[in-house]
Amino acid sequence: MTLGILGPEVSWYLAVAAFLFATGALGVLLRRSPLIVLLSLEIMLNGANLALIAFARHQGNGAGQIFALAVMAVAASEVVVGLGLIVAISRRNLDLDVDKLRTLRG
Amino acid sequence: MIVAAWICLLSPLAAALLITLLGNGISRRGAGYLATLAVLVSFVAACVAFFALWGDAPHDRSHYSTVWTWLQSGSFSAGLRVLVDPLSTMMMLVVSGVGSLIVAYSVGYMDGEDEERRYFAYMALFVFSMLLLVQSGNLLLLLAGWGLVGLSSYLLIGFWQERPSAIAAAKKAFVMNAFGDATMALAFFLLIQHTRSLSFETVFARAPGLASNHWLVNLVALGLLGGAVAKSAQLPLQTWLPDAMEGPTPVSALIHAATMVTAGVYLIVRTHVLFELAPKVEDLAAGLGAATLLLAGLIALVQTDIKRVIAYSTMSQIGYMFLGAGLGAYANGMFHLMTHAFFKALLFMAAGLVIHALAGEQDIRKMGGLRGLMPRTYRAFLVGALALVGLPPFAGFFSKDSILAAAMHDGWYGYLLWSAGLVGTFLTGLYTFRMLFVVFGGEPSAFVREHLIRPRRHGHVHHGEGPFSMTSTVAILAVLSLVGGWIQFAPLWTPVTRWLDVVAPTLHHAEATSWQEGISSGLAFALGLAGLVTAWLVYSRRRLAVPRLPFAQRMLERKLYFDEAYDLVFYRPAVGAARFFGRIVEPFAVGGSITGLARGTRDVARGVSEAQTGLLRNYALAMAGGLAVLVVVFISVR
Repeated sequence: MTLGILGPEVSWYLAVAAFLFATGALGVLLRRSPLIVLLSLEIMLNGANLALIAFARHQGNGAGQIFALAVMAVAASEVVVGLGLIVAISRRNLDLDVDKLRTLRG
Repeated sequence: MIVAAWICLLSPLAAALLITLLGNGISRRGAGYLATLAVLVSFVAACVAFFALWGDAPHDRSHYSTVWTWLQSGSFSAGLRVLVDPLSTMMMLVVSGVGSLIVAYSVGYMDGEDEERRYFAYMALFVFSMLLLVQSGNLLLLLAGWGLVGLSSYLLIGFWQERPSAIAAAKKAFVMNAFGDATMALAFFLLIQHTRSLSFETVFARAPGLASNHWLVNLVALGLLGGAVAKSAQLPLQTWLPDAMEGPTPVSALIHAATMVTAGVYLIVRTHVLFELAPKVEDLAAGLGAATLLLAGLIALVQTDIKRVIAYSTMSQIGYMFLGAGLGAYANGMFHLMTHAFFKALLFMAAGLVIHALAGEQDIRKMGGLRGLMPRTYRAFLVGALALVGLPPFAGFFSKDSILAAAMHDGWYGYLLWSAGLVGTFLTGLYTFRMLFVVFGGEPSAFVREHLIRPRRHGHVHHGEGPFSMTSTVAILAVLSLVGGWIQFAPLWTPVTRWLDVVAPTLHHAEATSWQEGISSGLAFALGLAGLVTAWLVYSRRRLAVPRLPFAQRMLERKLYFDEAYDLVFYRPAVGAARFFGRIVEPFAVGGSITGLARGTRDVARGVSEAQTGLLRNYALAMAGGLAVLVVVFISVR
């Protein structure tokens, strides 16, 4: 353990990460407002990031951290697109409800 | 000589192509002259080839010329190859000589007809096809000519394409001929398999090696006989010929005299080597000929259409030729083919003059008394009729009787055929002169008066009995029908037999002795004369009444129910089977399987598309569920 972790064991970090991911996933599955869905998505991504960073510290190399940085960049751009869509939808006076936005139905 | 043969072959083809390509650029009459000229050039070329061949030594009279190898496969090769030998030059002379007279006659006959150009293009094509058939140097090219003859006859029989009956007759002729083409092609396949060649000299050289295989030689001969029977309208494929009378009269003359129906006889003589290997098939050919000549003679007794009577007489005469060729008296068959070409063309063309004068009427019951009104036509027709019956000194006498004499040498079967031929002679005399007396004898009928006498009174001048092109050709043929037979008088004077001897030597058992020739000639002459006198008593003097035999008469008028039988045996089952398959099998098995496949695909796609709800949360759930499943799988598998 060259870099050593100050604080609790890696399993605690993973537990928090899993909790965050589950919370986000529940939010995506259960909430109907696209804004909240997007928010929950961010929580899921952050949960994943936490796990990546925890593993990076545990393994003692920086690859996981770099990967987390990439995820953040993706998350940021995703939020830009998602928010843009939401703004566009509300501009057209459509309901902000993911259950009603089902034009892609087969 | 070779150049002359090629000119002879290609000149009618060139005319046909030229008339077709020029279209309206050539006048209607011009097309007729062009076709006539082309066939005449053929005739001149054929004469040149003939005299050149005459100069050769008898054993050196076969000349092949190949210009192009058409097919090459291993040791098998077939090319565009003509053969000049005594048999082919004889056919070339008959085809192009009689053909040119008929085409010239058509110029007058078809005058004013719509689409004369098409007619003359077809006529030239017909002559070309027949020349290809007789000049080809291998069996493949012969088959090509054979098929082309069938095609051109189809086109010409159906020339008046606005008549449904003409179209039906054309199709019938084509289908019947196609049957013969198919059996011939099968025979050729067998020959390719066993002799590795289709060229005449190789096949004939190797064929005797196959003689031990009876099945094979019999099948080959049967296939060839099938082709010959179909093309020559012999039993049992004879029904197309009378229907072919739907075409214009010169076409009938061409089909019956110069081209087409004689092809079967030519084929048997040309491939006599193969037939001689299968004596049973040869006997069958002779038997079919004898049966056809009797049957056709009987049916001709009750026909009322002038052209149909002549058509049945053709069937009957071709029956004689088959009889001769089947017995092995090839030269006699070919000689009869030649004289028959003269007098049959003459009869058709004289009948054409009558039909022409009566505005297209062909029913002999409406005719009568034409003797005084068309005296020269009457004389021409009389010459043709006498030649057909075979009374000396007309052509038929010399050729027909030697065929009968050849039959006497062949045991009881030969005597059977011989007596059939003699009965046929009586029938020939009867039906020919029945036609002659009904059409030309007696007083002019009302119909004739309306068409021939009244126009004259009203100042419409009839130019003689027809246009010059018609009357002159009829006159030439009348002379040929008289003198054409004089070139051979067996057994005293036999140049035709000697001429053909190198190609198709008469079989030993078909060589008639002098007393057989004498007896046959005497009896045939007596019976032909008896038929003539009977017809005279019945139809001219009315001393004898036609025997009342309603049943027999109906049988003959319906042509012994051959058409009906074929309808019942072939047409109806075929249509029934087609209907069955169309209604029962096709909707399920053929079309059904395809539409079923399409419908199944569509149903599956519709079911699958149900999964695509458009609900974001469903997708998210599916992803989460999938992830959960993967997690479980990974953990448990490890």
